[in-house]
Amino acid sequence: MANVSESLPEKAGHGEHAHAHPSFLQHHFDTPAQQFNASKLGMWIFIATEILMFGGLFCAYAIWRGLEPDIFDQSHHFLNKIMGATNTVVLLFSSLTAALAVRSSQLGKRDQTSIYLVITILCAVVFLVVKYFEYAHKFHLGLLPGHCFGHPYFSAAIQNGHEVGTCLRIHSDEMPGSPLWVRAIDESGHEQLLPPRANMFFAIYFVMTGLHAVHVVIGMSILTWVLVKNTRGRFSKEYFTPVDLGALYWHLVDLVWIYLFPLLYLVGKPD
Amino acid sequence: MATESHQPPSASAVDAHTGHDTGHDAGHDHGDDDGAVHVHIASTQFYVGIFVALVCLTIMTVKVSYYDFGPANVIVALLIATTKAGLVATFFMHLRHDKLFNTLTFLAAFLFLAIFIVFTYDDLGRRGQIDNDYGGTIDPKTGLAAPGGLPATTATINDVEGEPPAGPATTPAGGEKKE
Repeated sequence: MANVSESLPEKAGHGEHAHAHPSFLQHHFDTPAQQFNASKLGMWIFIATEILMFGGLFCAYAIWRGLEPDIFDQSHHFLNKIMGATNTVVLLFSSLTAALAVRSSQLGKRDQTSIYLVITILCAVVFLVVKYFEYAHKFHLGLLPGHCFGHPYFSAAIQNGHEVGTCLRIHSDEMPGSPLWVRAIDESGHEQLLPPRANMFFAIYFVMTGLHAVHVVIGMSILTWVLVKNTRGRFSKEYFTPVDLGALYWHLVDLVWIYLFPLLYLVGKPD
Repeated sequence: MATESHQPPSASAVDAHTGHDTGHDAGHDHGDDDGAVHVHIASTQFYVGIFVALVCLTIMTVKVSYYDFGPANVIVALLIATTKAGLVATFFMHLRHDKLFNTLTFLAAFLFLAIFIVFTYDDLGRRGQIDNDYGGTIDPKTGLAAPGGLPATTATINDVEGEPPAGPATTPAGGEKKE
């Protein structure tokens, strides 16, 4: 296969399966297939590292949950199952359209690829909007680490010397440094009194979903870049690697959420 | 290399055979020879079918969460999630028709993740818990000084008024190790 050289861009070939040196083929690869397989392997190794990065958080989740199962049971009622399930379906649908975008690209249907990519990116926007409403509600309740759950020195509630929002100070007069409890209405409409240690659940919730949301934003950026390249006609049946790899990244985002959703929203004692 | 989309699949560099792949092995061998990219292309209906299955599993995992199976809650949720992840990886991410080495790379991540979590859990189970009276770490099962971790400092023991705790204080943890 070394007969393809830069000096002979068009003539190199053999018989009816003559292949020129196409513009997308980088000079250090012999064939498009070699280039494609190398790109795919690189992407899969990257996906493995991404799994291990999230794995650290899943490990923290497993250990914290093992230490404080009751806290996790109590706190998970503050997550809205319907919103979580909606977001799951939105991400699954975007995975479908990403897969279909790759399929269209493999068949050389450039316009169809663009449409599927646009739908995928719009689904990502919907996901983030739903996430925004979820986060905003929790901020309002004071479940964000650092406000009600934070060290009293940094807490507005303590510094002002009175109860703020839904934070409840226990033994406030006798022990100025005592931690804050949170009194709030959960998603089932029950009033719950969360101990300071409930911070554990909400911290891991915000970090895991936050890192995932960062990945959603990165995935949107990658897919937008792929979309721009696609509309400029850079991809073809012979060369669709960026569409394929961009979609793989997007499926990874979906994979992580597939585990995040039940572990955060669903596992625990039902009402 | 034409970029037109109206070429018949057999004439293009990409082997665009949809549906059944039995009988196409010869084509695959041939494809490896000519150096062009050959991929399996599933039908749109097939991808939609996978999506429907994923949505059904999502509805199932939500419905199941309203029942309490005790400790099995996590197991049930993880089984359904793993089924979904398997569908996504196998078909949406094309592992079914991809190189086996890519699948192994993917699975290796989970192998090492399992090692990470199991070893951390094991460490946690054998680690002593900090005992405020003693100032060192105590094995919660035996009540004796736990191996590993920080030894009880002499300052802490001296600060304790009255009799030191019976078990651990007479043999301070790590006392010999410091010598």
